[in-house]
Amino acid sequence: MNWNSILPAMLTHLEITFLGVLAGCVIGLPLAALLVRTPRLQRVVFAVVDALQTVPTLAMLTFVMLIFGLNDSTVVVTIFLYSLFPIVRNAYVGLTSVDAGTIRAGRGIGMTPLQIFTMVRFPVATPMILSGIRLAIVSALGIAATGVFIGAGGLGMLIWRGIQTRNTVMMLSGAIPVSLLAVLFEYAIGFAEKKLTKKTVHTGGIR
Amino acid sequence: MGEFLREVVRSSDLILTALGQHVAISAAALLLGIVVAVPAGVALTYRPKLASAVLALFGVVNTIPSIVLLGVAMIVLGLGFAPAVAVLFLYSLLPILRGTYTGIREVSPKCIKAARGMGMSRMQMLRLVQLPLALPAIITGIRLSTIYIISWATLSAFIGGGGLGDLIWMGLQSYNFNLVLCGAIPATILSLLVSALLNRVIRLSRRHRSEEVAA
Amino acid sequence: MVRFENVSMSYAANEVLHSLNLHIPEGKLVVLIGPSGCGKTTTLQLINRLIVPTEGKIFVNGRDISTVDPVELRRGIGYVIQEIGLFPHMTIRQNIEIVPKLLGWDEKRRLERTRELLKLVNLDEQYLNSYPANLSGGQQQRIGLLRALAAEPPIILMDEPFGALDPITRESLQDEIMALQRKLHKTIVFVTHDMDEAIKIADIIVLMKDGVIVQAASPEQLLSSPANEFVEQFIGRHRLYGAKLDTVRDVMKERVVSASPDMSLVESVALMERRQVPTLFLVDDGGRLLGQVSVEDIRACHRAQGVRLADVTHTPVSPVTPDDSAREVFDRMMGEHLDVLPVVDGQGLLIGIVTRSSMVKSLAQLVWKGDGNG
Repeated sequence: MNWNSILPAMLTHLEITFLGVLAGCVIGLPLAALLVRTPRLQRVVFAVVDALQTVPTLAMLTFVMLIFGLNDSTVVVTIFLYSLFPIVRNAYVGLTSVDAGTIRAGRGIGMTPLQIFTMVRFPVATPMILSGIRLAIVSALGIAATGVFIGAGGLGMLIWRGIQTRNTVMMLSGAIPVSLLAVLFEYAIGFAEKKLTKKTVHTGGIR
Repeated sequence: MGEFLREVVRSSDLILTALGQHVAISAAALLLGIVVAVPAGVALTYRPKLASAVLALFGVVNTIPSIVLLGVAMIVLGLGFAPAVAVLFLYSLLPILRGTYTGIREVSPKCIKAARGMGMSRMQMLRLVQLPLALPAIITGIRLSTIYIISWATLSAFIGGGGLGDLIWMGLQSYNFNLVLCGAIPATILSLLVSALLNRVIRLSRRHRSEEVAA
Repeated sequence: MVRFENVSMSYAANEVLHSLNLHIPEGKLVVLIGPSGCGKTTTLQLINRLIVPTEGKIFVNGRDISTVDPVELRRGIGYVIQEIGLFPHMTIRQNIEIVPKLLGWDEKRRLERTRELLKLVNLDEQYLNSYPANLSGGQQQRIGLLRALAAEPPIILMDEPFGALDPITRESLQDEIMALQRKLHKTIVFVTHDMDEAIKIADIIVLMKDGVIVQAASPEQLLSSPANEFVEQFIGRHRLYGAKLDTVRDVMKERVVSASPDMSLVESVALMERRQVPTLFLVDDGGRLLGQVSVEDIRACHRAQGVRLADVTHTPVSPVTPDDSAREVFDRMMGEHLDVLPVVDGQGLLIGIVTRSSMVKSLAQLVWKGDGNG
């Protein structure tokens, strides 16, 4: 086993993953906030992100590849597209889970719409938003591994070379870290959600 | 565009064969998943403690990237159709298991109370009350599994499972991006169609319950 | 029909029923009532073996139910619950026919029975193919009731069936139950926490507290002779016979037909006819009671010319005061065959009368909580 090849692969893997999910947050969270304010857009937006989610990973990678080429940025864009569904959906559910009475009360004590958003809706929605990000990261780690097929780096490369050369050790040197990362993020963020959720109760999002 | 269409015509036999394989591999995994996970999900409702352990275990399985499991399957089971189906089957279990389990657990207690009080046996209650009421949740689980399976079936080409992933792979290796699309586009259409179809089935299965009046 | 013999029930270390003995006779509507946690619902659910007693035996139709398959037992016992529990995925018809179907009745017989049931509660057949979600809560519980009756079980258990309904719907369903019971003579065990409901519908009320039966009696007995302080309190003093009827003030009528002693006999007879009273009370200018005169007294005078009321008046049989005991006055009226007694205050001023009908009306008001205006 070669640590010198695992570590850089892992860093590349994390970089691809986080850039993609970060883009998902930057676009997805304001989009969810927009949906709260303009319900007319809901149907369209949810139909689009749901359809994106439905496209097979490898197919999406190749579609994006036609525009961005055989490299890491294709994988980042693909991850971004897949991360929209859990991020937008969960943020929306979280933001709309505040009951109408609380919102009215907020208005009643003279909060501006912005204050209601930042001081009431957002804090209540935080655990739900986190769980969306968690789902996005876990699936992004897998997508990043699949990215090897369109020439991206990361731990997927080790797995794929291992499979091709029937080199079990090399395969596992990619497979074990990527699996550990997935489980780690799943539980670490899940734990944070639970800590935060103790204060608020939600229903209806995906977990 | 013209190039692509020419490629489609040229490879139409190849595409149809691959599509057939893709459907076969997905259907096999899905059917196995349903046959195993629905009864297992029902059984787990009688053992809630075991249930949370089993669901947590499969939760871990499903966080592991698919390419990893495909790699492991190849090492353990070798190349071919069967290892591919085995991996996809494994992934399909969690959504169906979870859907069935929560669907049955969430059947309203008043219906259970009424059913028990009127003298339904456990099997009758399951057949006449719990399963019909859990149906939307079960189908939602099946839909999720189906989308995963169709998506990952494209990857199973790499361990010799065949299917539309073969075309993508062949295209990538020969830098024939039109051939890549000949695999990617049918796979996408298949997934979108099946998803839309199952969404409709879910809506149908829910139809009488949307406006349940609080007594 | 249903008999409990020394039945005890414990959850962990917590005994919720203590050696219960109870006989529920055939064809009666027995209401189990008591404060929450008294064991009334537990008692009900023991009958169809939804729960199993820790000790003691329960007999249904003479059979020890611990020897009967619970599924078979329950099919012979109708069950109606507060939550209604209609199956949302089944039509109204499927809901009503579910138990007959479980029992293997053929389609024709099931439909016949369903039609018969709908007629019984005057429901239109148009409902048959709709789903429970399209019905109001009251209509849903009506169907719940029909579902319980469908396979013609001799026994029906009802667990606070109307508890979640609005007062008007509740009243009408209570009336329906009473009407059904007059036609069908089922053995009904009915749990409620609503005393008015119990008094209205019960043949026998079983009042429970802390897992024991405090009193089991007909509503009339319960109201007239509550076993102890707890029963009185639970029933509510305002409902008890004689409870708020402590004094004459509670039963007297304030509108009195009084007359001056100078009134002519002709005039006085006209007045009595007009006011529909058999007795006139004579008062002086200050309202002080002078005497009373009845129709018979006047007739006895042959309507002689110039005779005034003052000439035929009796001194009244010792008037009562508002603070006298109502029960004693009642006894006295019964004992001395009096129809009416005047009520005077400390200064001898006439302030009202007690009649047999004013007594009965006050009683009726308490029992049925009507507001009949004296």
